[in-house]
Amino acid sequence: MKYFKLIFRNIGRNPLRSLLTSLVTIVLVFVVTMVWSILWLLDIVTTEKSENFQAMVTERWSAPSHIPLSYAEVLGRGAARNPGDVRPLDSMTWQFYIGTLDPEDPSSKNMMFTIACDPDKIAAVKEGKFTTMMEGLESLADGQEDQLIADVAKLKDAPRGIIVGQNHLKITNKRIGERFKLTGVSITKGLDLEFEIVAAFPPGRYDTMAVFNREYFNNELDAYPRSHNGQKHPLADRSLNLMVLKVADSAAFTRLASQIEKSPELSDPAIRCETMASGLASMLEMFRDLIWGMRWMLAPACLATILLVIANAISISVRERRLELAVLKVLGFRPYQIMVLVLGESILLGAGAGLVSAALSYGVINWGMGGIAFSIGFFDRFMVPVDAFWWGPAVGGLAALLGSFLPAWTARSVKVAEVFSKVA
Amino acid sequence: MNNPTNDGPIVRVHGVHKFFRRGSERLDVLNGVTLDVPEGEFLGLMGPSGSGKTTLLNLIAGLDKPSQGEVRVGDRLISAMSEGELAGWRTRHIGFIFQFYHLLPVLSAYENVELPLLLLPLSAAQRKQQATTALELVGLSDRVRHRPGQLSGGEQQRVGIARAIVTDPTLIVADEPTGDLDAHSAKEILDLLCELRQTLGKTILLVTHDPRAAERTNRLMHLDKGLLVEQRL
Ligand SMILES: Nc1ncnc2c1ncn2[C@@H]1O[C@H](COP(=O)(O)OP(=O)(O)OP(=O)(O)O)[C@@H](O)[C@H]1O
Ligand SMILES: [Mg+2]
Repeated sequence: MKYFKLIFRNIGRNPLRSLLTSLVTIVLVFVVTMVWSILWLLDIVTTEKSENFQAMVTERWSAPSHIPLSYAEVLGRGAARNPGDVRPLDSMTWQFYIGTLDPEDPSSKNMMFTIACDPDKIAAVKEGKFTTMMEGLESLADGQEDQLIADVAKLKDAPRGIIVGQNHLKITNKRIGERFKLTGVSITKGLDLEFEIVAAFPPGRYDTMAVFNREYFNNELDAYPRSHNGQKHPLADRSLNLMVLKVADSAAFTRLASQIEKSPELSDPAIRCETMASGLASMLEMFRDLIWGMRWMLAPACLATILLVIANAISISVRERRLELAVLKVLGFRPYQIMVLVLGESILLGAGAGLVSAALSYGVINWGMGGIAFSIGFFDRFMVPVDAFWWGPAVGGLAALLGSFLPAWTARSVKVAEVFSKVA
Repeated sequence: MNNPTNDGPIVRVHGVHKFFRRGSERLDVLNGVTLDVPEGEFLGLMGPSGSGKTTLLNLIAGLDKPSQGEVRVGDRLISAMSEGELAGWRTRHIGFIFQFYHLLPVLSAYENVELPLLLLPLSAAQRKQQATTALELVGLSDRVRHRPGQLSGGEQQRVGIARAIVTDPTLIVADEPTGDLDAHSAKEILDLLCELRQTLGKTILLVTHDPRAAERTNRLMHLDKGLLVEQRL
């Protein structure tokens, strides 16, 4: 645009004022970005419940839960026996395997918590769409989704492969492609497994959990008697810890839960079927006022402040430049063009500051600090979403637009004859 | 050159009244002014302070509307045009020279001269050519990159003149263009205006308090008590 130079030069005219205005905008957009990032995350956690209903099946009377692996097949069809019964849309088995990196020092810092499962349930492409049975992975960015699909393919090709959490990369001090050994502890004592790291979960998701092929785990369980005088491992018949089922909605869930809990095939041991989100929701309930305050008070207050700061700066500069604006009119600039000049200046300032702010928060929080510890549901850490790169400029630019509208209107209605007459 | 279709005067002010309101008071500034300016004339306009010279100039330049009467420039009845129409019309037909130059401080001399051209459908190359020619005419080819703050008053006014002529307007109006300059710079500016008239055939309207400036014009009018009278030199 031909006027861009003029707009740009005007911003540089009073560098201190422009700088201060941008600084305030940067700080406030930063706060807004943080608040929105958190709300965005909470929204994902909570909306997931109403759309894709996840049910969790565990042993009824005992925790930790141990159920026979043979239940998996029955649960996979939702214990449906009659034609009209609800069947789950998908299911995933979770078999826990807990091991330590150092048998001499089985303290928690060397401990790894892993899940033996069917790799296809971690992530898959169905009918062209990314699907997952693991909560928290459905909100990955597009690029991360593609990466995860590729990682799962690698896992399927490597019988002893494992996808680790970001935390594990640190405690094992290993990189992708390297191997490590775990000595079974607790419930999986006596089972020693060797893994090859094929990939890591994206930062912020399952940082302290790892997943591997359930075939490897179950083969080792089956082979256990051969090295232990024919004695079965205590877990042998009850190696399934929990099962995740997916249903369409809460009505389907209610029916499914009753089918499962009443099924004669699933009576010994008895099991319980509850929603995945029930725990999560009650936890969020505690923060309800806080969340409400962030959404409806803090963020709007920041926006209003940006608006006022920019309105102030721009109206001062319009007042200072009344004469110049009148000259532009004499030269033939139309009222709307004058307005564009003024608005352009403030939008450029606001959006620029917003972009800087987004880049800063993204860089500092995601790279510098590796995320902020913020444990909710299956999220361990809070990261600034890439979307901040458009929120930031949009928030800054929009606040600037609103804030400078009045000054710009004053500018456009400058009366040339008055400005140049003695009465002005 | 802008050649109006008819051979009549390029500016025709007919029976113009202009009053302003200040609260309940009515201030009559122009009381039936009639004026014809033929093409190529260098017309001087004098009068005491507050007599309405700037007001008349504003009416002719389409910056304000008469309370009564008609103003024609070229073949357009500008007293009947809308503000938006007038803006576009001014770019093409009026070159305004101010007492205090009023260049944009953030733009270089060249960019200041180019500014009105941005409003016209011209290519960058055409703009460059016209702006360069205008700056050459006022003798400032070597100062194009300077900001107004780096130029003397006389030089700034020459940039102002270059900006006024860059669109090749029908009419140049100058409101005390030498009012802020020393005698030497003032003479240079007047020389330049005379040259514009002689070599390019420009029509110029000059408001001034300075008798030396008035001497250079080829017709002089006097505005007093809202009426215009011709003054013999
Ligand atoms: N927009 C306006 N509103 C009210 N009064 C105005 C306006 N413009 C001009 N006037 C008044 O009209 C009168 C004529 O003003 P004008 O500026 O035309 O005088 P002038 O002849 O140019 O004076 P000077 O030689 O000092 O420049 C003055 O009394 C001025 O106060
Ligand atoms: Mg005046």
